[in-house]
Amino acid sequence: MLQKRLTEAGHTVRWGENGALALALVKERRPDVIISDIEMPEMTGYEFCKAVKTDAALKTIPLILLSTLSDPIDIIRGLDAGADNYVTKPYDPDYLLGRMASLLATPIDSGDDVGSLLEVTLAGQTFRVKAGRQQVLNLLVSTFENAVAKNQELVVANQELSVARDDLQKSNDELTSLNAEVTRINAQMVRDLKAAAKVQRSLLPADDVTIPGSNVAWRYVPCHNLAGDFLNIFPLDDEHAGLFVVDVSGHGVPSSLMAVTVGRFLTPKVSDSSILVRQGADGRVVVTRPAEVATQLNRIFQADEFSGLYFTLLYGVLHLPTGRFDYCSGGHPPLVRIPATGGAVEFHPMESFPIAFVPEVEYEQRSLQLAPGDRLVLYSDGVPEAMNQERNPYGDEAMAACLDRSRGAPLDVCVGGLLEAVEAWCVPNGPLDDVSILSLEWRP
Amino acid sequence: MDQFRRIQTGKKGDIHLVLFKDKKILDDTVLDEIRTEITQLIGKASGPDVLLDFSNVEFMSSAMLGLLGQLHRKISTGHGRLKMCGIRPEILTVFKITNLDKLFSIHKDAPTALATFT
Repeated sequence: MLQKRLTEAGHTVRWGENGALALALVKERRPDVIISDIEMPEMTGYEFCKAVKTDAALKTIPLILLSTLSDPIDIIRGLDAGADNYVTKPYDPDYLLGRMASLLATPIDSGDDVGSLLEVTLAGQTFRVKAGRQQVLNLLVSTFENAVAKNQELVVANQELSVARDDLQKSNDELTSLNAEVTRINAQMVRDLKAAAKVQRSLLPADDVTIPGSNVAWRYVPCHNLAGDFLNIFPLDDEHAGLFVVDVSGHGVPSSLMAVTVGRFLTPKVSDSSILVRQGADGRVVVTRPAEVATQLNRIFQADEFSGLYFTLLYGVLHLPTGRFDYCSGGHPPLVRIPATGGAVEFHPMESFPIAFVPEVEYEQRSLQLAPGDRLVLYSDGVPEAMNQERNPYGDEAMAACLDRSRGAPLDVCVGGLLEAVEAWCVPNGPLDDVSILSLEWRP
Repeated sequence: MDQFRRIQTGKKGDIHLVLFKDKKILDDTVLDEIRTEITQLIGKASGPDVLLDFSNVEFMSSAMLGLLGQLHRKISTGHGRLKMCGIRPEILTVFKITNLDKLFSIHKDAPTALATFT
């Protein structure tokens, strides 16, 4: 590295691996300047320096010692070795070249300055050093120059630090202002989410909902702020009650927006948007058949380009005087009946596509004749597909067994027990999907 | 070689082979990446034949069905064919509940599925 710089500067460089080899080179052909490290194998820089400076033929060759000067004793040793120039490491090659130039310009006096024995006390230790006056002067000047150069480096470094500190301060200010912006946007989003969650809750059954001659119980646990599930139950007219569970695919804002939009059509109030009921010619309320509800929803939610959002639906209409239950599924998990007779818990699957998935589908409907005391259970796939830590689903069998165990208990206990069982299955992480359960017991 | 993170792709004649790399397709982010990558793969092809291989997939969200529906509609509109294979029984249940095993062309494994592209 140094050799390259010296050669580039027009000097001829001869290189000795260690002090002994270097001394041989110096004796063989007298150089203009010697540069020596201190740490060297075979012969240290001090020993080499002493050998040069005590040789009458060589002593006037300027010799630069490269030292870390980590200890003041280094200077004493240098003095003793007859050194007349120091450059501290790490050094700037240009500084070294400059020093060489000035040394070459002022040759060392070869006068008989044999030097006298000096006594120096440093850090409580007394050294006896033999040094010539000229040599001491040279060393003093070189040490001073070196100190000046180091000081200049420090000044430059300090200026650079100061600039860096200003930059840092500026970046810090920018970060602080960005952070404030993020906090503001976040607060806005939290407010929006809360408002949206409130809209979603309006899709759920009213607190005081009563269906004549029936008991109703439900549980609804969204896994995030905003859910893709919703459910409802309400009287449609004097003789009919409507009930449904809807599960929009995915989670988060897109799914919940779709849920709210679907909810507008599934309202029991006669209005432009309701597809469950309409005003007949005679002024009486006409209840739409469940299959027609599913077919209409599928038509309404068809887009030119399918976005990938769809929903499953189980919608049923109970004729309160007779216990006839008409229902339709759009890709939804099976309807469950717990017969009052004590027979096994029944699953009533229905093959049908989810809503909005396939264009132009005519949905079919089925009927169940309820016996007094029969319970119907509608739910979202968050119940049977709830996964435990080993990633096994809760499953239809466990659900049936749970409902069977609590069939003698009041309806609300039975439904609450199913939710608890699902949550216990998912310990410790909790369900990863919305869980909806809606149950009706017909007691005419 | 393979420029995709979520899918491994190949070609058998004119048929695009798509193997899902993920074990779990539950996350919305993963789903969006799969959507983007498949769109990049077949985006410009007219009437492409595509075989989706689910051999690696152990868990899948309902939103993935939506993506499959999207692909199905897009590919059939372009007079291409979409087929699927390697779907394990637990996941096939999800297709059955939603009746989508009737909508999609589902086969046991890749050789069986490839033989049906004639």
